Amino acid sequence: MKHRTKSIPLEQAQQQANVQQSEQETTRQFANAEEMLRYDAAQMTVPAAVAKRLQQSMGQVAAPKRSWWRRLFSK
Amino acid sequence: MESLVSEAFVEPDCSSPPPFLEGEGDLAGLYQKHSRAVYYLALRFLANPHKAEDVTHDVFLKAYRKWEQFRGESSARTWLYRITINHCCNLQRSWHERNLGPVEESTWENLPSHAESPLRVLETKELGQRIQSALDGLSAEYRLLLLLVADEELSYDEVGALTEQSADAVRGKLHRARKAFATIFQKSA
Repeated sequence: MKHRTKSIPLEQAQQQANVQQSEQETTRQFANAEEMLRYDAAQMTVPAAVAKRLQQSMGQVAAPKRSWWRRLFSK
Repeated sequence: MESLVSEAFVEPDCSSPPPFLEGEGDLAGLYQKHSRAVYYLALRFLANPHKAEDVTHDVFLKAYRKWEQFRGESSARTWLYRITINHCCNLQRSWHERNLGPVEESTWENLPSHAESPLRVLETKELGQRIQSALDGLSAEYRLLLLLVADEELSYDEVGALTEQSADAVRGKLHRARKAFATIFQKSA
């Protein structure tokens, strides 16, 4: 019983912290358009389908040959 | 092999090279480091997730084919952006693109994001929609300028080189682009 009465404020505090964190997230402020775009870009993930397609396409394309002068100077 | 590929690209901060590019030397690092920037530029410039995927694929395939032509005079990021911008502009100029209607709402629903909570996913999606609306309200020149300047890896000189103008002209137009963006963005609230 004692344990339970102690744990309630802890839970409430945790919930309040979560709510506060959520509020901070939803009221995010940006100094200018670029900052907003940077944030937006950081949330983005390149779809995995692009990598799959690229893999297939590269399989159909012969590996680019190195030019004669690059081969010469890399020795 | 397929599952390895998708796993590697779901997490953008993974440190190992993408499996399909193993043995391709610098190109593996190139995709890992720049694919998100290329995808984002294409996505927000064209306002079409499907086209952005196509562009990202085409840009890196072209980079693979033309890797030997990259002379290192500019940064790899600038080189890839140049290919991306050319590709996007060609797409916009094409008859098909000019006669195509706006993207369906459901297309935006499936945009991948790595926000960690449902609230953040919702917040990110809503913000993304407002950003896209504001960008769509700008001229193509201002839209491109803002997207390029937002990339901290690029200097004003590099943005100028990519948009064929001086760094001073970039600064001047940027001021007006910011203002126009803010006005449209606030209206969308």
